[in-house]
Amino acid sequence: MSLLVADNISKTYGSAGWFRKSTSEGTGVRNLSFSLEEGTCLGILGESGAGKSTLGRIVLGLLPPDSGTITFEGIDLYRSDRKARKQWRRDIQVVFQDSYSAVNPRMRILDIIAEPLRNYERLTSLEERRKVAELLVLVGLTADDMHKRPGQMSGGQLQRVNIARAIALKPKLIVLDEPVSSLDMIIQKQILIHLRELKEKYGISYLFISHDIMAVHYLADRIAYIDQGSITDVRTTLELSNTASLKQP
Amino acid sequence: MRRRWVLIVSLSLLLAVVICGVLAPYLAPHDPNIVDLTHKLEGPSLTYPLGTDQLGRCLFSRLLYGTRVSLSLALVIVVACLIVGIVIGCLSGYAGGWIDNLIMRANDAILAFPSLILAIALIAIWGAGWKQMAIALVIVQAAYYVRFVRGLVISLKQQSYITAARVSGTNAYRMMIRHIIPNMLPPLLVVVTLEIGWVIMDISALSFVGLGVQAPTAEWGAMINEGKSFIRSHPRLMIAPGILIFIMVALLNLISDAVTEKKGLGSPLRRKREAAE
Ligand SMILES: Nc1ncnc2c1ncn2[C@@H]1O[C@H](COP(=O)(O)OP(=O)(O)O)[C@@H](O)[C@H]1O
Ligand SMILES: [Mg+2]
Repeated sequence: MSLLVADNISKTYGSAGWFRKSTSEGTGVRNLSFSLEEGTCLGILGESGAGKSTLGRIVLGLLPPDSGTITFEGIDLYRSDRKARKQWRRDIQVVFQDSYSAVNPRMRILDIIAEPLRNYERLTSLEERRKVAELLVLVGLTADDMHKRPGQMSGGQLQRVNIARAIALKPKLIVLDEPVSSLDMIIQKQILIHLRELKEKYGISYLFISHDIMAVHYLADRIAYIDQGSITDVRTTLELSNTASLKQP
Repeated sequence: MRRRWVLIVSLSLLLAVVICGVLAPYLAPHDPNIVDLTHKLEGPSLTYPLGTDQLGRCLFSRLLYGTRVSLSLALVIVVACLIVGIVIGCLSGYAGGWIDNLIMRANDAILAFPSLILAIALIAIWGAGWKQMAIALVIVQAAYYVRFVRGLVISLKQQSYITAARVSGTNAYRMMIRHIIPNMLPPLLVVVTLEIGWVIMDISALSFVGLGVQAPTAEWGAMINEGKSFIRSHPRLMIAPGILIFIMVALLNLISDAVTEKKGLGSPLRRKREAAE
């Protein structure tokens, strides 16, 4: 059984939404279907405005589609009862593109990373610190960083903080919405390496959204091309390398 | 640079007035309520720095105690408005949907009236007195706070750290306490400094027409009211508290203008209020 299955989902922006007031009518996504296997990474590749973030929000359970279903471990995200919702909410996490705006500027790194832990687990403050320190080291930072504030960190370091927060609950799926797009090339590479390690170590699945074919190619097992809200092509990364090498002179 | 000085000077003056009010019992040369008809309507002297009123009470002492009454009442009203505004505004802005609609319609109904007129109508129903006045002012003022807070919540809700917190399982209550309220306080506090000035004026106006703080209690508006029979013979009875009201409101305006400009924050509460009245 696939971990995540999207069946013919469509979402058109028009009426005022929960999170944003829309300014114009526009298609977010149209008749999307795909599946994501456990422990793998599905890359979603498309130009800006193609509907990638819309898809991400639907998968995160934040934006009900107009039609179609999205199931996670066999449970329909938008027609699940309280108990089931509590479970998938815990198992699906996110990392956004802009690492600065994804953290509350007033909070310490400790509080940022501990937030999901505090929501689900009863840890003493000592256990919590130990856990946060562990997570910081896991994403390539140091335990001392927990006392810093977001303003004292670089974009790349802060993105590692975002990753630490996303993996704190050992989720099954992480939606990565352009997680490296606003970082320098070298930092991009380091973070991608880290993400790949985490995936292999913990068997986390990724929905990796990006407009950068190199990044997708590095991390994804399968790649779906999305254009104007529709998936136009799905390939395994291996096929892609073969065609790419074929085309090379 | 000049703006900085305006801010520093007005803040120090405001602080001086506040200290005078707080220390009134120590600074006042006389009990503000002691009637001494043998000394009524005396001019300024060494014993009575600003002279006495028609009942022989020390005007200077009454002004000091009046500062205390006006400031503490204004503070209580503003804090109450702030609490009501934050609770209802957060509920409205965060929940959205029919809850938001319902609250906003009720709010619009209150905002449809000029606030002072509505306050007077409420006091007319409940009877005059400072408690009734305070509750009436909270009701009419809180509507502005609700709308302002709701706007702040709706704009904060679009921040991706709020979305990230939702995804990490943060419930609505914790969202307010941890994320939304702390990030909304700076703009809110700027608005509040200005609002204290308005409330001081409202308190004085209502007390002046006899609906608020009642006669023997020293309060600026009530003092003007008591002094109005002597406007020709002893104008200082009205002018002294009048000047104090003017100074307080001017100081608070200067401060909030300076802070608003420095922080680049607008003050929608004020503009909406001006438009409404
Ligand atoms: N809240 C919204 N209201 C109206 N239209 C939106 C909203 N969010 C996105 N859109 C539109 O939906 C389309 C897809 O946007 P998005 O999913 O953000 O694309 P991507 O992440 O691939 O750049 C765009 O045309 C965009 O203008
Ligand atoms: Mg996007």
